Amino acid sequence: MASDNDTNTLAELSSQLSAAVEQIGEHTVAIHARRRIPSSGVIWREGVIVSASHTVRRDGDVRVKLPSGDDVVAHVVGRDAATDLVVLRAPEVKSPPAPRADVNAARVGSFVLAVGRPGRTVTASFGIVSADVDGWRSGSGARLDRVLRLDLAVYDGFSGGPLIAASGGVIGIDNSAFARGGAAALPASVVDPVVDELLTRGHIRRPFIGVGVHPVALGSAVVERNDLSHDGALVVVSLAEGEAADAAGILLGDLLIAVDGRPLARPSDLLDALSGVSEGGSLRATVLRGGVPHEVTIEPRDRDRGGAAA
Amino acid sequence: MTTVPAVPPYGIGSDASRLASMLRRTVVEIRSPVGGGAGIIWGRGLVVTNAHCVRRDAPLTIEVNGETHSVKSVAFACDHDLALLRAPSVAGPVLELRDPDTLRPGELVFAYGHPLGVSHALAMGALHGVVRDERTGDPRYIAADIRLAPGNSGGPLVDADGKLVGVNSMIVGGLGVAIPASAVQGFVTRAVNLRAA
Repeated sequence: MASDNDTNTLAELSSQLSAAVEQIGEHTVAIHARRRIPSSGVIWREGVIVSASHTVRRDGDVRVKLPSGDDVVAHVVGRDAATDLVVLRAPEVKSPPAPRADVNAARVGSFVLAVGRPGRTVTASFGIVSADVDGWRSGSGARLDRVLRLDLAVYDGFSGGPLIAASGGVIGIDNSAFARGGAAALPASVVDPVVDELLTRGHIRRPFIGVGVHPVALGSAVVERNDLSHDGALVVVSLAEGEAADAAGILLGDLLIAVDGRPLARPSDLLDALSGVSEGGSLRATVLRGGVPHEVTIEPRDRDRGGAAA
Repeated sequence: MTTVPAVPPYGIGSDASRLASMLRRTVVEIRSPVGGGAGIIWGRGLVVTNAHCVRRDAPLTIEVNGETHSVKSVAFACDHDLALLRAPSVAGPVLELRDPDTLRPGELVFAYGHPLGVSHALAMGALHGVVRDERTGDPRYIAADIRLAPGNSGGPLVDADGKLVGVNSMIVGGLGVAIPASAVQGFVTRAVNLRAA
């Protein structure tokens, strides 16, 4: 086949794909922290391994098999429920971090490979980026800036492994848990800040005020009387004792109309407002109580484990 | 941090169709009471397929290049799910074999066969990995991220150069599983020597 034409682009593409897998395979490890098959992880920085949190079932010290075949011990530094990422520190891992792909290598339709190491050897599956989704709302209610949906086969050891470009280089971390078992990946731009925060803090800061809310529609009379720009609001249906909202004087039955001047129509609007609060910052909430508007300042606290309730 | 540049676009469509027209002359369609599948011409008058595609002592016909031939099975290796058929009137190009030890995950692979009754269909995928015998270290199976269906059984899995990687045999967890070309060659050599002796 190759002999009758000098330029076999198929063979060229094929060897480029396998070279890309081989290159990143040198930065892909097997993590022994669940029953049955090990999970895959990526050497993200020197001595730092990133994987999918749901595949690493144990905390503390876990055994990691390196591409060289050597076993080392890695320590689970922290997890993020929202992005389903886990960061491990393995001081014995001296190999340089996996090279990154060009940003143009992950457009919709780009050829990509999912690489894994569910054991001793490297495995790969091949496909395309099928969608690039901004503002993905995960099952736990957290917003992910960007998720890549993939058209490729999900196999044992897929989650936690690297998604790589056909031209080589890491695009992100594979995960089948975001899209009900479908293939998806978190791009490096989303992974990096999570890794930074987990390495410095051990967990992801989640501003938390301790209210449960439900959306309601305000009557037109109420909207006119208070000169509101919208007719939606959130009614406070539960209040965590001693948490930020309670401490700020929010009462059960209060109607939250706006936060920092931004209208609240859905619970996700409140989550978005919270995620924008910097450390030590506060929110100005506009509250309708007994038909009378109040301004309340709430200082969110940091909650260790992420969750949907704001 | 190093960055790898993006690739220029490839015109691979014409290459894949060339591969398909080459395989069309060397892959046969097998019809048997157990359903049939695909087979590979392995030299003059010999065809290799999966054991599960044929039945011992049952009438068999194969179709190649639009002609129908009647054939009989001569050897089975049930541990490898392989069968060797003798079809004196069949001839066609013989595929070069790919050494399983040189296979690299991520390589492009192609399956040719008759999935779900669609004759002479080509599928593309990537090599997933080589499963080795834990005792001997010999390649036991080739796993490929490729879409296979009943009718692909007994057909070839080839690389981008058209060399035979393996004989498609099973679908496990969505992955295609093939018997390595080296194991097939070993089976054919043993079967032919046995008959000659």
